[in-house]
Amino acid sequence: MNDMTVMDKTVETQNIKIAAKDVNVYYGDSHAIKDVNVEIEDNTVTAFIGPSGCGKSTFLRCLNRMNDTIDICRVKGDILLDGEDIYDKRVDPVQLRAKVGMVFQKPNPFPKSIYDNVAYGPRIHGLAKNKAELDEIVEKSLRRGAIWDEVKDRLDAPGTGLSGGQQQRLCIARAVATEPEVLLMDEPCSALDPIATAQVEELIDELRSQYSVVIVTHSMQQAARVSQKTAFFHLGNLVEFGPTGQIFTNPEDPRTESYITGRIG
Amino acid sequence: MTAQHIASAFDRDLEAIQARIMKMGGLVEDAIREAARALETRDEELALTVRQGDKAIDGLEELINEETARLIALRAPAASDLRLVLSVMKIAVNLERIGDYAKNMAKRTGVLAQGPNISEGTSALRRMAREVERMLKDALDSYIQRDVELARDVIERDRDVDQMYNALFREFLTHMMEDPRNISACMHLHFIAKNTERMGDHVTAIAEQVIYLVTGEKPEEDRKKADTTSTTPQEI
Repeated sequence: MNDMTVMDKTVETQNIKIAAKDVNVYYGDSHAIKDVNVEIEDNTVTAFIGPSGCGKSTFLRCLNRMNDTIDICRVKGDILLDGEDIYDKRVDPVQLRAKVGMVFQKPNPFPKSIYDNVAYGPRIHGLAKNKAELDEIVEKSLRRGAIWDEVKDRLDAPGTGLSGGQQQRLCIARAVATEPEVLLMDEPCSALDPIATAQVEELIDELRSQYSVVIVTHSMQQAARVSQKTAFFHLGNLVEFGPTGQIFTNPEDPRTESYITGRIG
Repeated sequence: MTAQHIASAFDRDLEAIQARIMKMGGLVEDAIREAARALETRDEELALTVRQGDKAIDGLEELINEETARLIALRAPAASDLRLVLSVMKIAVNLERIGDYAKNMAKRTGVLAQGPNISEGTSALRRMAREVERMLKDALDSYIQRDVELARDVIERDRDVDQMYNALFREFLTHMMEDPRNISACMHLHFIAKNTERMGDHVTAIAEQVIYLVTGEKPEEDRKKADTTSTTPQEI
């Protein structure tokens, strides 16, 4: 009976994985993120949508302290991962980023072999005791990245020789190799064709069973397809955050409505 | 939501579809009015015109279905645009059904014109049809003006139509018991009354779509049906 109904996209309440409280971000004098409060759940895909320059990528980058690398960037407020402040002085950003992985807009494999691309993270974090274990991690990660079958016979070939879609899936495999708890994706499909996009979206849905996934996307259809929760950013404000089904059928805020229906907001 | 889309062709498509709904609504209003007039005045020629006019209504429904399907495929409407497209599709179905009932009324008029004239019945039916026609006009106005209050009013008024039907049902029973020669005519008149009552339900459904379109929520279901004939005992 149930298999005849539209897949229920209702969101069961999950554990809060990341909680952001009164987060403000400044680039020099410009105020990029204004008092954002949001709770990102575990085993859930959360989509950030909004027009260019609305702060969604900036906010995403706060979640694994990627903004630390920008000198003029200041982050205020609290971002808690499992209840612990990630901006605490005792937190090592490198360890944090192993826990909170990231996939970028353009595929950026290292100029190394496919194998070494995936093995890099586990090696520097000492996740494998020997070669056999490392082999296992590499295979598992490539399988999880839904690219194993395509590359298993040429693991020594350079990662940069793959097609764009394959490179992106390699980057996802690389990101999951360190067993992260959260996966941040900044427009992971914008450089991909529709087939590779569909493969990555399928992958995101599978990854959800183990990770909390946060995706920034300019494609509203993609947000609607892959996410269970959607956050709409506008001019540095988090305007609306709610179940994806509701945001796309009956948003509460007129600015959200204007944006998702393609009106001048 | 009055602001324009960035893609102006999207606005034109939506407007075109809504214009078709209004045109279809106008034709259906005419069909109800003319069918009821033909019934009361035993005008077979007018009844034939109504029957032929139903083709145009069906054609419009077909066109609206095609255009909404195209719009969904090409524009992937969301939020209020999505609700607009969904409501248009449903309203078109309701209008088409009402058109069919009007056509059926005209069809029975042809038969009734040959038999005894039960003029109290046909006059009451015309009043009932006029009320449904007014409700339809208001429902379509509430749609164009996005007027939730007017839509709620239309839903409320369906009770009156139900009560008119109850009264007619009893009246026709009485006629049939008085003189069995009235049975054939009264059976036809009863079907017309029932169909007109169903028209009211379809108009109510249109008004409910207006509420959904504007608020994003289905209206609360506390309305009790006032049609009690299904439980009316045989002896009256």
